Amino acid sequence: MHIPDGFLNVPTLAATGAVSAGTVGLAVKVAAKKIGEKQVPLMGMLAAFIFAAQMLNFPVAGGTSGHLIGAALCAILIGPWAGVIIMSAVLIAQALIFQDGGLASLGANILNMGIIAVFGSYLIYRLVTKILPDTRRGKLIGGAAAGWTSVMFSALAAAFELAASGASPFAVVGPAMLGVHALIGAGEGLITVLVVSAVMASRADVLQMERI
Amino acid sequence: MRHSFLDQYSHLDSPVHWRDPRVKFLLSLLFIIAIIVTPAGSWLAFAAYFGILVAVLAISKLPLGYVLKRSMIILPFVLLLGMVNVFTRPGIELSSLNIFGWHLGITDGGLAFIGTLLARSWLSVLALIVLTSTTSLPALLKGIERLGAPKVIVMILSFMYRYLFLLMDEVLRMKNARDSRSVGSPSTGFQAKTVGSMIGSLFVRSYERGERVYAAMAARGFDGRSRTLDNMALNTVDVVTGIALALLMLLPLAWSLIR
Repeated sequence: MHIPDGFLNVPTLAATGAVSAGTVGLAVKVAAKKIGEKQVPLMGMLAAFIFAAQMLNFPVAGGTSGHLIGAALCAILIGPWAGVIIMSAVLIAQALIFQDGGLASLGANILNMGIIAVFGSYLIYRLVTKILPDTRRGKLIGGAAAGWTSVMFSALAAAFELAASGASPFAVVGPAMLGVHALIGAGEGLITVLVVSAVMASRADVLQMERI
Repeated sequence: MRHSFLDQYSHLDSPVHWRDPRVKFLLSLLFIIAIIVTPAGSWLAFAAYFGILVAVLAISKLPLGYVLKRSMIILPFVLLLGMVNVFTRPGIELSSLNIFGWHLGITDGGLAFIGTLLARSWLSVLALIVLTSTTSLPALLKGIERLGAPKVIVMILSFMYRYLFLLMDEVLRMKNARDSRSVGSPSTGFQAKTVGSMIGSLFVRSYERGERVYAAMAARGFDGRSRTLDNMALNTVDVVTGIALALLMLLPLAWSLIR
């Protein structure tokens, strides 16, 4: 879902870049206020964690393999503002190290996978855990829903940006992106649930901490 | 450590490697923006951009095969999006396919579109590869910070770069342990479950390591800022090559816009 350079036009690049820069700036301020200098080593470590966790892929039907994106996981485990910062760092590094996603389209990619996915999935997680009883099962269902929606939200945002740039009409690119990502999202949801349950089993206190 | 795929050619010795990271970053950004702004179908301008890139690549001593292989990363995305457009763009129909009575016309507009898409995204990804393969990540991050990127993000990125190798080793050890315990071919569900608990314990280990690193740094007087002795300074060659290359890049753009 990383959009390379050359696909988006200048107005879309400028708009997504401005929104991303503003939101990341705000996230840095909010996080600095809540945990101060302690954020830097911990968040760097967690960004490295997301990066390393993405290396662990598992086979999906048809010879392809799935791996974690991590936006929902970040939002659930440490909170949306910290999640925005960590996902942005991961996306910047992916563009610079692996050329996964372009330099000029970085704003769009951060918006899709770092901002919309994090806040969208956090909203869903809070909603589900509020409706369902506060049990292990409720949290896990919330995690699954958050994982799936994080992927769907970012796919939808990417489809909108591609359509707005005139790369492809939305009637074509929208259903195509959502269709493919409905499956990828199922994998993300499954992994999110499994990681949340593993964290619950060994460090339940992390889930009870105040999120940033 | 059994992985060396991060900025692996950044320690070669060439005039491109010697340039200031800030100059290289700004030139790459300018190059990519120029390509995006160049109108569709300006093949001569795209060829000129390609010429500039080839010249820089030749000077940089980067292995050509490595660069080409790296750049193929964008192909699936281009083909996926391009295929639809070949048939839907308006234009003169050049050829058509009939699949089960379904008329698919290949238009010249469609071909121009996919050609432009391919040229733009390939040239951009090549520029990005030249930038990151001739600059070590710490130097690049320092350059970006000097250009005004938020300090916190840059510091998080440099922490991430420092600990990435450690966590990747951790992941490889976990993978080894898993593989030596899995006999035959376990079901996807079982494998996903294993990966889930592996990522779970990786999270806990990273989190706890982060806490320990912070405690150790606080004990040594960390106040949220990093201090280095490296004073990045632009020399005359950096400035001259920067300006010359920037003008050279703007020439094809200006030509394609006036035409």
